[in-house]
Amino acid sequence: MINIAKKVVLIGCLLLACVGLGFDLPDPNPAENGGVGVLQPNAGRNPAIEVPPPPAQDPCLHCHIGGSYQGLWTPAGRWALFGFAGFVFIFGAARSASVLQRRKPWLPLSTQIGSWIDARYQVQSALAKFLDKPVPVWAVRWWYCLGGMTAFLFVVQGVTGIMLAFYYQPTPENAYASIQYIENEVRFGAGVRAIHHWAANGMIILCFAHMMRVFIMGAFKAPRELNWTSGAVLIILVLAFGFTGYLLPWDQRAYWATTVGSEIAGGIPDVGTLILIFLRGGWDITAVTLSRFYGLHILALPITLVLVMAIHFLMVRRLGIKEPL
Amino acid sequence: METKSEDTKTTIPFYPDHLRTEVRVMLWMAAVVLLIGAHGLTNPVGLGNPADPLDTPEHIKPEWYFLGVYQLLKFIPKTAGALLPVAAVALLVLWPFLDRTKDSKRQVMIRTIFSILFCLILIILTIWGGAS
Repeated sequence: MINIAKKVVLIGCLLLACVGLGFDLPDPNPAENGGVGVLQPNAGRNPAIEVPPPPAQDPCLHCHIGGSYQGLWTPAGRWALFGFAGFVFIFGAARSASVLQRRKPWLPLSTQIGSWIDARYQVQSALAKFLDKPVPVWAVRWWYCLGGMTAFLFVVQGVTGIMLAFYYQPTPENAYASIQYIENEVRFGAGVRAIHHWAANGMIILCFAHMMRVFIMGAFKAPRELNWTSGAVLIILVLAFGFTGYLLPWDQRAYWATTVGSEIAGGIPDVGTLILIFLRGGWDITAVTLSRFYGLHILALPITLVLVMAIHFLMVRRLGIKEPL
Repeated sequence: METKSEDTKTTIPFYPDHLRTEVRVMLWMAAVVLLIGAHGLTNPVGLGNPADPLDTPEHIKPEWYFLGVYQLLKFIPKTAGALLPVAAVALLVLWPFLDRTKDSKRQVMIRTIFSILFCLILIILTIWGGAS
């Protein structure tokens, strides 16, 4: 037998769905229903804004990304607002019904969710060891934060990078135009690209500052040698990110900076030419270079960076922060 | 962790005390990042002219964080110039295995002075490389 609380939730959700759907049903007689009535379909839409039929060539881009379909946000906002209020109401009703029926107060929701997960994954004991680790008071200073801030910016880079990769096309014919498209047409595209650009610069500065802090405080000394070494690998990877990412816009600056950069690498005796050909995918910078820089930038480097970062963090956790002299 | 009762004056628990600080830092960072994004909406990063392999520009410059090395390489013959960054990277990676002395206050002082000098030289080279 289903208890009352579950029934309340079920009926409430069904009701919510019906109401929500009713709002968005197309109006069969828009002229007759002049905005009055209990369940007015399309009630929120401004009649003054005429919704143009989507053009034949790119209907989806035109309506949803180009932003010409103004009515899109009204139903979404209505759903969010009334949906949230509805769920709060249903939750309240269900909890009241459950308390009434079982004659027992509910445990806090966070405790319930926690014990539900722990019953299945049994993470409590493992997490307790992680969470109970004491942090020395002297380590709560802003300069101990630099590494963590770099890691945070890496997450930002990951998210914005994925967003950019949705629109970016790594071919010499389309790369430049696709970035113009991101900057001018895609909603918030210019903002996302700006974040990716400036956070990349910030990451390099923070990385360097973190390294300087560790160097000055002598945190690289035994037994933390490998912490430093993995950190040095990380900073090289970050610079490689910068180098590969710089080519992707495929403008004059990018093209010639890559030319010079790979030429310098080509100057190394014996292996130089090999490195140059590997970087460029041939003697010249062509479509092959762009594809492999793109592949390095979005696949090889992130995977390597995450792995080395995991090692770096685990070692910091294991050995703790070095006490200043 | 073994001497938890004694440590309470010199340590704080990671959860929730230290985690709260970290979340606060992350939220401030997120705010700054979003501000940069909002600024970028009206002032986009922009693009130069499309790449043209046949048109070599007069002044080729790498990203600003390679400008220092780039400027330095102008004064060094090509082979040595190419080996210098490799040697620098090797030195960087292997540094803790080369400097094995026990740490002291004096050493911290020396390292601080060395770091400041290094940063100054790097900044000067970067500005010089950017201006030339």
